[in-house]
Amino acid sequence: METILSVKGLGKAFKERQIIKDISFEVKRGEIMAILGPNGAGKSTTIRSIMGILYPDEGTVKFHQCEAGKIPRHKIGYLPEERGLYKNVKVMDMILYLAELKDYPIKKAKERALHYLKKLGLEGKEKVSVEELSKGMAQKVQFIGSIIHEPELLILDEPFSGLDPLSQDVFKNEIKELAQSGTAILLSSHQMNMVEEICDRLFMIHRGQRVIEGTMADVKNEYANFKCTIRGNNEASVLERLSNVSRVEQKGNVAVIYLNQDVVVPLWLRRLPETLSIDELSIDRISLHEIFIDIATDQHIVKEGDASYA
Amino acid sequence: MRNSFKVAKWEINRNMKNKSFLISLLVTPAMFAFFLFIPQLFGDSDSTKTVEVFIADELGVAKDVEQLVDQEQLQWNVHFTDMEEGEMRTRVIDEENTVYMAFTEKALDDGVVPVYKTEDVNEDFMYATYALEVPLRQLQLNRLDLSEEQKTAIAKGISIEQVEWRNAESGQNMPTGEYDPLKRIVPGVFAAIILFSSVMTGMMIFTSASQEKKEKVAEIILSSVTPVELMQGKIIGYFVLGITQVVVWLAIGLPIFVWKSDLPILEYLFVPELLVLVVLAVAGYLLFAAIFVAIGATVEDMTATSNFQGLVMMLPFVPLIFIAPIIGDPSGIIAKVFSFIPFTSPAVWMMRLSLLEEWPWVEIGISAVILFATIWLMMKAAGKVFKIGILMYGKNATPKEIWKWLWA
Repeated sequence: METILSVKGLGKAFKERQIIKDISFEVKRGEIMAILGPNGAGKSTTIRSIMGILYPDEGTVKFHQCEAGKIPRHKIGYLPEERGLYKNVKVMDMILYLAELKDYPIKKAKERALHYLKKLGLEGKEKVSVEELSKGMAQKVQFIGSIIHEPELLILDEPFSGLDPLSQDVFKNEIKELAQSGTAILLSSHQMNMVEEICDRLFMIHRGQRVIEGTMADVKNEYANFKCTIRGNNEASVLERLSNVSRVEQKGNVAVIYLNQDVVVPLWLRRLPETLSIDELSIDRISLHEIFIDIATDQHIVKEGDASYA
Repeated sequence: MRNSFKVAKWEINRNMKNKSFLISLLVTPAMFAFFLFIPQLFGDSDSTKTVEVFIADELGVAKDVEQLVDQEQLQWNVHFTDMEEGEMRTRVIDEENTVYMAFTEKALDDGVVPVYKTEDVNEDFMYATYALEVPLRQLQLNRLDLSEEQKTAIAKGISIEQVEWRNAESGQNMPTGEYDPLKRIVPGVFAAIILFSSVMTGMMIFTSASQEKKEKVAEIILSSVTPVELMQGKIIGYFVLGITQVVVWLAIGLPIFVWKSDLPILEYLFVPELLVLVVLAVAGYLLFAAIFVAIGATVEDMTATSNFQGLVMMLPFVPLIFIAPIIGDPSGIIAKVFSFIPFTSPAVWMMRLSLLEEWPWVEIGISAVILFATIWLMMKAAGKVFKIGILMYGKNATPKEIWKWLWA
């Protein structure tokens, strides 16, 4: 796949504090790439550096098919985290202005705007004043504004935040379709379930540094091991002595036992000692969500900087 | 630059479709007209009321008085009576809209004519009575038994006057009567309207930049244009709006003015000097627009605007403080000093040039250089402040922060 954007060794500090450090990744045509991380991890700083809204202290941002150092603004669609619309204008005027700024033909923009308004459930709203829109509707209009000019690269900073589950699904499908039609998409989010569903690759940052990077499948293989949750009155030390256990978390009478990567689940279950007190038992895989929480709270599934995976 | 024009076009369209802008566009001249004509209406109603004037004419000046009342078109209903002064004093207490005057021998001797007027009679009435002093004075002189020469000498009085000698030598001296102050004032007022209007729309730039920040549109827009393009677009857009405002005002105002007054306004207006004044107005706009757009980008919550931002917004009004000394002496030290300070120079020059018969071109030139250099610097500085300020969310910037951005 053709690479659209390469970021190399990006670093930025505000005053003494290092916000991001040595961030490198690529975004390819037709691919959805996610930047993940807890609040304040440096996602937006990374994206703003790409957009030329912030100037990184070090590192390079290269848009392929464009001379070095230049940002092909009319080929990029951008939905920032801090987003809004002019209040006292009509929806269509707002969208057409954004299209005009991107040098996109007005007539075509109008057709596309109507098409997308209909698709996102805003049919007939084109003449409504922006201030009459609900937050979710406004976000849809902003989304349309960011894709109206058929960008080659679409950068979405927290596209799902503030949306109800229904609208989240609409956005999710739309993003997927855009990727299928060849748009390179870079999105940031901390909604792991969404990311898990639609992203091809992910890049997780914590405290401004890369912690996990790779395709969704690889990351899951690597980090999404099995875990066993047992409700019952058991000593932690007993559980820790079981085979293939990497770690035990106990809260009251609920214990979560994290298992090694090479565990064979039926075998492991059969070998559980009969003395264990079990009111409930469940076995499932660690979700991306848990990996995320784990990293954000500095636990042990992944160590910072220990991301040899790529 | 092309992007700047797109932004400008957007700002123009957006405001032109905005009801509050349209209303202010039409209401402002209406307000001016209102304040211009309403006092006249009230004034008229007061002065049209005819005052009953009773005169005890012991001196036999009735004829002269009637003639004067006719000549000056005074709204007096004159009655001649034989009333005593004492009676006047008692009658004036209960009556309305009435004045008693005693032209008595005693008054002539004392040189003071007593007037009793009821409370509701306007103070202006007393100004009108000055006209009566002339025939009384004449009578007084006549009684003195003087020769005609002596009378004329006394009646003429004496005055001390300055003589204009500069132009007298060159022989191009314009007879003083022919110099018409309106010749300068009309273009000056025109330029002042442009400056006023554009400073007002300049205030809208402030709001626009601040809103852009508050409504968080800035980052979306900045993914398509650079901050400087956005800023320039706003400055250009609001300039066009300001000019539109002037055009609308004049389109409404000029015909009314030409109709209401007999002055040849248009003849006075379209003179070459107007060009200089318009350039000054435009310069004033550019200067304040640069400042306002930058300050607007530092303010998110207008109710929490700090003193600093508020003070900066007052800058265009500083010349108003010095309006009296400048008009009093358009070539004085205060007028000169403020002509060279960029923030006050456009307005101060407008006042001075409207009053000065001979324009000090060297001073104009020097101050224009200072002004345009300042505009250039301010634009640069505004670009820096705007670039950082517009994307800073959540709080207003402090002067210290703004100072730091300038050198970033």
